[in-house]
Amino acid sequence: MSAQKDCEFLVKKARELVSEDPCAAKAWLITARTLYPADFNIQYEMYIIERNAEKTASAGRLLYDMFINFPDQPIVWREISVITAALRSDSQDKHAQFLRGLFETLPGRVQCEMLLKATEQCFNTLEKAEMLLLLLKRFPESVVQHGVNLGETLLEAEVSENVETPVNCFRKLFVCDVLPLVMNNMDMRLPTSLMQKYILKAAEFYIGYVSRGPSPDVQIQGTQDGGTLKSPGVSRGSQRYVIDGLSEKSSVVAEPWERLLDIVTVVGARCEWQGDKGQRNYVDLFQRVKELCRYLPSLEGETRSRCCSQVVICTALILFRSAFLYVSAVQPSLFQGQSLLHAMNSGPWILVEDLSSVYSDVDVERAALKHAHKKRKLVDGREKTMSSDDEEGLGKSRGRHIFVNKAEMPSWAETLESFRTARESWDLLYSHDGLETEFKKICAAWKTESWLWFRIFLTDMIIYQGQYRKALSSLHQMAAVHQPQPGQQSPSGQASLEHHRALIQQASCHYALGEYRMACEKLLDVVGGLVPPSQDLNRSHEDQGRTKTRPRRGNDLRLLPCTSRAVLPFCLQLMLALFKLRAFTDSRDDLSLGHVVVLLQFDWPQGEMLFLKAVEKICQQGSFQYENFFNYVTNIDMLEEFAYLRTPEGGRIQLELLPNQGMLIKNPSPALGVELNTLLLQGVQTMDRHHTVTRGITKGVKEDFRLAMERQVSRCGENLFSVLHRFCVNEKIIIIQSLP
Amino acid sequence: MGDIRQSLLPRDVLSAAKELLYHLDIYICNLVQSGRQPPLVDSKTLELVEEFILHAPKDRNAPVRKMSALQELQLLEIMCSCFQEQSRDAVRQLIFSTLFNLQGNQADESRMMLLGKLVSMAVAVGRVPILECAATWFQRTHGVYCVRLAQVLVDDYCSMVPGSGPTLHNIHSMSPRFCCQFITAVTTLYDLSSEELTPPLELLQMIVLWIQEDPRLVLITFLNTPLSGNQPLSCLDVTPLGGLVRWCIKAPLAYRRNEKQVRTNGSSESETDAGPLFSALHLSVLQVFMLLPNILSEKGLYGHLALLQLDSVAALTSDLARLLEQTDEHTHTCADAHALSQLALDRLAQALQVAMASRALLCSREDLRAICSRLPHNNLLQLVLSGPVMYYNNIHTPPLAYSPHTAHSPIASHTTLPTLPTHTPLVSHPASHTQYHTQPFMTGVQFPFRPSH
Repeated sequence: MSAQKDCEFLVKKARELVSEDPCAAKAWLITARTLYPADFNIQYEMYIIERNAEKTASAGRLLYDMFINFPDQPIVWREISVITAALRSDSQDKHAQFLRGLFETLPGRVQCEMLLKATEQCFNTLEKAEMLLLLLKRFPESVVQHGVNLGETLLEAEVSENVETPVNCFRKLFVCDVLPLVMNNMDMRLPTSLMQKYILKAAEFYIGYVSRGPSPDVQIQGTQDGGTLKSPGVSRGSQRYVIDGLSEKSSVVAEPWERLLDIVTVVGARCEWQGDKGQRNYVDLFQRVKELCRYLPSLEGETRSRCCSQVVICTALILFRSAFLYVSAVQPSLFQGQSLLHAMNSGPWILVEDLSSVYSDVDVERAALKHAHKKRKLVDGREKTMSSDDEEGLGKSRGRHIFVNKAEMPSWAETLESFRTARESWDLLYSHDGLETEFKKICAAWKTESWLWFRIFLTDMIIYQGQYRKALSSLHQMAAVHQPQPGQQSPSGQASLEHHRALIQQASCHYALGEYRMACEKLLDVVGGLVPPSQDLNRSHEDQGRTKTRPRRGNDLRLLPCTSRAVLPFCLQLMLALFKLRAFTDSRDDLSLGHVVVLLQFDWPQGEMLFLKAVEKICQQGSFQYENFFNYVTNIDMLEEFAYLRTPEGGRIQLELLPNQGMLIKNPSPALGVELNTLLLQGVQTMDRHHTVTRGITKGVKEDFRLAMERQVSRCGENLFSVLHRFCVNEKIIIIQSLP
Repeated sequence: MGDIRQSLLPRDVLSAAKELLYHLDIYICNLVQSGRQPPLVDSKTLELVEEFILHAPKDRNAPVRKMSALQELQLLEIMCSCFQEQSRDAVRQLIFSTLFNLQGNQADESRMMLLGKLVSMAVAVGRVPILECAATWFQRTHGVYCVRLAQVLVDDYCSMVPGSGPTLHNIHSMSPRFCCQFITAVTTLYDLSSEELTPPLELLQMIVLWIQEDPRLVLITFLNTPLSGNQPLSCLDVTPLGGLVRWCIKAPLAYRRNEKQVRTNGSSESETDAGPLFSALHLSVLQVFMLLPNILSEKGLYGHLALLQLDSVAALTSDLARLLEQTDEHTHTCADAHALSQLALDRLAQALQVAMASRALLCSREDLRAICSRLPHNNLLQLVLSGPVMYYNNIHTPPLAYSPHTAHSPIASHTTLPTLPTHTPLVSHPASHTQYHTQPFMTGVQFPFRPSH
């Protein structure tokens, strides 16, 4: 006879009854409990009945009793861990919601104790942290005791678990959940150094989060030429992002930059930073930092170092944010989330020299270029000095204007403003040795040199500053990193275009440095990989032409959309720029002049003035030899002009424009030449029957010219892009060789 | 106030009654204002009420004034608004008791008639002040009359007009005090001794719902009453617990009896529903018992006040024993009958154990054994009568009694464990081995359910 047997009998009886008459079962258990109040199984059975019936209040009451009376029962702990798991999860299923409701019915003190004990029984760091976090969130007074420890545990876990990125589950909990609790708890005394450490941890996380690349399992198919999204997977796939160890929902961080600003505000208030307490936005923040910087030199000792760290931290955040905003507009496919936003209306953009003044007079250009070089030197000399905001006032690096097609980039103003802010904050960080040292420490800790997106910004910045040599070395490195991967190649050729991004910038830099041959090589590499767009694309250039109201100083920049319809024109203009100066030197260079004529066809009649100058030069020379003429010149105005040049009225200029002419004279033997010759002769014979008979050896040549002219006239409707593209591809070697 | 009689006489019945009510209101207002303790209404006034409101003949010679049904309805309406408009509780109470407190004369009949109609009307139109007054009336009036009033309401709302139950249902929110008293009266009225004294299903459902919604409802009167300790014996119990316990325990047997009768009569539909209702009600009763330790402690009555009287329990057990013997004689063959008997005994055992543990029933297990001696065997009852085994195998968990502190108190209070109720030494009971079917209670004898080792 034992109490245990009695209890077993009572519980068994209740179990038998529960399905058909739960009230009777409960009556049995109530009776049983009054008989054996210390028996766990009776109370557990009562709890199970209420729990299975999802009766929140009564189940909570019984759980409470069990927690109080049987704190050592493993079953109770198993139950509590199920409940705390439900609390941590964001599951919306009915049972999880019931369990959460159950927990809510418990008195706060018991909740607190339960969570603490449950935490103690957790071995997994992440779970333990989540559990403790539940506690801290519910019971702010516990933050004082556990807050910092929890934070440190998470940061240690990051190290011990060898996570690769700052965007990991531990850091996410630390930054998004623990840190606000700790920082906002004014009962806690936090040393300044700790707060600085924390804000940098937070910043690293948030920056890493916003600049995270697209998920590897999701193929980002950017759209070229602003077309519609054809892949259905893009819209759904690219938004999905899960931090390892967290659920999809808790991997989402809303408004990262705003959260970071919140932390800046709190840290600012706690560290007694100079200036206004509430940082409403990054613009205000930057304004304040700039003011602070002015009297930084006058400070000494601890005040100075405190001020220094304030400036460095704030400015670094402004720098990375602005740089990120700039790069996310210029190279959106680098980022998860951003890619979708931007891919809709623009692909990547390339910062290059603005060449819309390429059609202007050579002399003006030449003078401007010389002037610019002088200025550049001057600016490089005083690179590290801060100047006023006056863009127009100073030389090249200060006053460079960046053109952008406003219709194609609706957010152009913000993008350029971000670029400017980023540059200014960079300058500010390098304006004092103290700041620079501190900033470099941050960069080293964050390994910013491995951030491709930041390098893109830096490269664009040094291009803007006119430090082309430095920019080139940076671009070489990037080109190596940013090789198109076989898997990424999309049908639209986007990936290869992005790869060309670096090449185009290199070409632009070489051009700016006066290294024409290098520039030419790079740009021909680019053109070789392009597919010529269809004809009707000249409209966008008409736009550009119209905006060209004020005279260009020849040192402006342009944000060029990375699409073949924009890149090919740019390459052609760049080529024109390369040959223009050579073509119009005092010495004779027919090859260059011929290239110029071919290239001037593009965007006709923009280059009319230059063409007339070329004609003038030919007239002065009295002769002109360019064997590619009939292969690549299809412009009717030009053809007419050249036809006229041969006439007595035109000055009987000796024109050697037929390929076979040159071949006949220079190289009469090769098989190809003979074939061509016979082909052309046949043409002459047929022509003879219709036209007036002419005499002499040159008469046949004259007829060939006429014939070729007539044929060219019929080619007028040909896609100019195709013609010029062919020119670049077929004549690549000659073109490059014609540059020194 | 006696002098207004002359002015009332010439009036017609309704306006006289109206006039009297008006004067009564003023008179009692003044009486309460005067602060005399206790405020006593003089006999002249009581006589006027009997003559002009209750229309009891003053003497044999006087002509019997009688109201038409319409006039009576108008009077009730006037009374309703009279109570509704009187804002002072004390005045209202005094008017009510002047009108309806039984005087032990021949006017009491018409007094009860009018009271029944007034309360029924108050329930219908939701006049809370009248229900509150009636609740107090229930407390002060002899049980017989309380039961009569309850009968009127049950007739009006459960029998006369089918479907009017919901109206009555609302009284628990309008006046929980009235509701509680009503339950007490109804459980006293229907003692399940015959078919007529079996509560209508509609009423049962209502009561189960009320108590499930708020188990404390049955304790309202007890909670609101400053206990004088010596309640007049003739009054209703302060809680319906005794009545409810009786219902639940006797129900399996009573309804079985009814069922048999119905079966012979033809249709049977309601009986099937009563089972679960009583099961739920029984659970609610046990839950109410579990509330008691705290409440009794708060009132300083823990262990001093028996809300369940031992003699009423004794009456119940002997009643039950008789019923079981009867059924035993009639239904030897029926397996169902055995199950129902066991259900009744299970409930008895549960009610006794829980009531005792919650100190609503103040007695020893020995006392229980005495009053249960005639009952047939039941495992749980056996266990309850012998009490829990005192040593506990699990030495790690200290035995916890159901003290008033365990329920809602902080953890720390567990250090002060109340001593367990002392286990009564088992003694053989003289009556325990007299009959074949009775509780075979013997010292040291193992229970059948306990496997022997």
